[in-house]
Amino acid sequence: MERVVLSMQDPDQGVRTRSQRLFITVIPHTAAGGDVVAWLIRKYGISDEEALHLGTLLVQHGYLYSLREPRSLLLRPDDTPYRFQTPYFWTSTVWPAAELDYAIYLTKKNIRKQGALVGHEKEHYDQLHRKISHTWDLVVMQAREQLRAAKQRRKGDRLVIACQEQTYWLVNRPPAAPLHPCIRVSPPHAGAAQPSVPTVPDPDTQRPCSAPGIMRPCLHPRFQVSANPHLLSPQPATTKSTEFYKQEMERCRKALTRARVKSSVCLEAYLKFSGQRGPHDPMMSGCLPSNPWVSDEDAYWTINAPSVAVPTKLRVERWAFSFQELLEDPVGRAHFMDFLGTEFSAENLSFWEACEELRHGGQAQVHATVDAIYQQFLAPGAARWVNIDSRTMERTLEGLRQPHRYVLDEAQLHIYMLMKKDSYPRFLKSAAYRDLLAEAVVPPEAKRRVFPFMRKPLHASPSPALLPASPSGEPVAATSGPECGDGGT
Amino acid sequence: MAREECKALLDALNKATACYHHLVLTVGGSADSQSLREELQKTRQKAQELAVATRTQLTAALRDRGLGAEERAEFERLWVAFSGCLDLLEADMRRALALGTAFPLHAPRRPLVRTGVAGDSAGVAARALSVRSLRHEAEGNFDVDDLSQLEREILQVSEMIQEMEMKVNVPRWTVQARQTAGAELLSSASVRVSSVGAVSVQERTGPCDPNKALAATVFSAVLLAAVALAVCVAKLS
Repeated sequence: MERVVLSMQDPDQGVRTRSQRLFITVIPHTAAGGDVVAWLIRKYGISDEEALHLGTLLVQHGYLYSLREPRSLLLRPDDTPYRFQTPYFWTSTVWPAAELDYAIYLTKKNIRKQGALVGHEKEHYDQLHRKISHTWDLVVMQAREQLRAAKQRRKGDRLVIACQEQTYWLVNRPPAAPLHPCIRVSPPHAGAAQPSVPTVPDPDTQRPCSAPGIMRPCLHPRFQVSANPHLLSPQPATTKSTEFYKQEMERCRKALTRARVKSSVCLEAYLKFSGQRGPHDPMMSGCLPSNPWVSDEDAYWTINAPSVAVPTKLRVERWAFSFQELLEDPVGRAHFMDFLGTEFSAENLSFWEACEELRHGGQAQVHATVDAIYQQFLAPGAARWVNIDSRTMERTLEGLRQPHRYVLDEAQLHIYMLMKKDSYPRFLKSAAYRDLLAEAVVPPEAKRRVFPFMRKPLHASPSPALLPASPSGEPVAATSGPECGDGGT
Repeated sequence: MAREECKALLDALNKATACYHHLVLTVGGSADSQSLREELQKTRQKAQELAVATRTQLTAALRDRGLGAEERAEFERLWVAFSGCLDLLEADMRRALALGTAFPLHAPRRPLVRTGVAGDSAGVAARALSVRSLRHEAEGNFDVDDLSQLEREILQVSEMIQEMEMKVNVPRWTVQARQTAGAELLSSASVRVSSVGAVSVQERTGPCDPNKALAATVFSAVLLAAVALAVCVAKLS
């Protein structure tokens, strides 16, 4: 944007400027809105609407300001005079607007207007006074001095500078009710404080409408050149209330019927969970053989790979926590399948796995999968018939007429609960599981090669919870490490 | 007394900062010129001198353990104002550097933004330096050399601020400013009178308002004449 403005300044190729005539003073460098639009069209070869839109964006971001109606941030494509903002107040130089500066500006205005600040400015003034009351001395001093310094200039310059400042603060601290729904001014991302020329994508090579890439897109990018854009379209307040309250009532009704859990129950469960899992957490209890991020050996990862021949002890213990843990671990699942094989109920787990595949598989294969499952598990006299109760079976068969991904959910859940209540506890008590526990490997803690002169051997997997402040804690941590592997939970 | 001296120095620094701010506003605009850059340099050098002097005084005062509570509070207030002023100065200096780099006065010649400000700012700089008038004695490539010096000075000022923070520990939240909201309205009468004039001119930024005033005066004159005539007619009859 700034490059656009700069190219507008070219004395030959730029926008034509005239002088503004006030009562007795003459101030140069006024550009008419229509001229600006015409120049944009000529320079970039864009349409009327686009030029108008671009011009409006320039005004909204504070690079141009209107002389007749300073509070309206619109570009009118007619004779309305505009002037360019001084580079000091461009967004690339001063961003974000500082509270102290705003306080000084408001104080100056207060002095000039004899305390007649109105509306949002008064609110901001009070707010700022509360926020930075400790520097209020400085604010008042600076405000007075800046006014006195300004008096050293001619009247015309004084007016212009005052207008510039006013525009800057209008853009950066807009009044609460926006004059136009499109005003959402945000800084260009390229404008971070750098002591170099601001880098804005060159509009000569890109279409100017891609400018929204550097600023947040407006809600209504096409603004209508209406006669009176100051008026807000009145909100339909009446219809809002009835609809709104109906929705509120629905929401409250639903909230009443929500299931709530007492926090004491929740917290107990949480404590139990944490207590159970504490020793398994590599952060809290250190990991054996060693933390790969610390010692640069990935033995930990190879030992705990998803499918490994001999699982670690910790892993086998985790299978006892819940059925979900067991099923999620591929090694665990395989062993469970073997166990079910010995009990002649392996088809349950196969059915469950097949249903999972259906749920997570591709949409195109849904039909085929459903048919296969039916043939294999559900049809009367099937090869691996699963034992589902009659009501669920009826509902499933009904659903199979229009098969979709979740049609076997009920049956799957039934089988899952069956396995969980029945086979799973037996598995945990079985000899197979005990053998697994006995065979499970406990990786020894890797001896960290340290300088032979160090008094304290460094822990191979320092855990933030175990790092003690005193040296007496260190041997405790070192002994608890291998213990953790041997003793179990 | 130390307090009065500090206050005087702080006021001078405040004045210099305000003038510097005012001058930096016009950099890059139509009033930008060699003399403006020179004025900027002079003003900021003066501001820096004042800052160093104030800092030594204030640091000495605040490090003095044997200070009464009231005196200490007063000095802390001055300290907060001083550090705020220095922050403003540093920010303005950085912006001046950015703008000076972006708008070099000589080659490559970039068009300055036509902001409508056309007068000169010698008065502002003179006010900052507390002299009657200012002489301009800069040579050709002044602005380019000045920029490198400005960078160095910015670094100096930021170092100074850092040092200040390290040496003296004044928690900002305990300081109670003496001025309250609206204290600026109790300014001296002269400022008020002159600002009223400014107010009336500020309101008229459009060319239609003077015409309205003219029309109003004409109308009231006509009305008065009509009233006078009516009275005369009534007297005659």
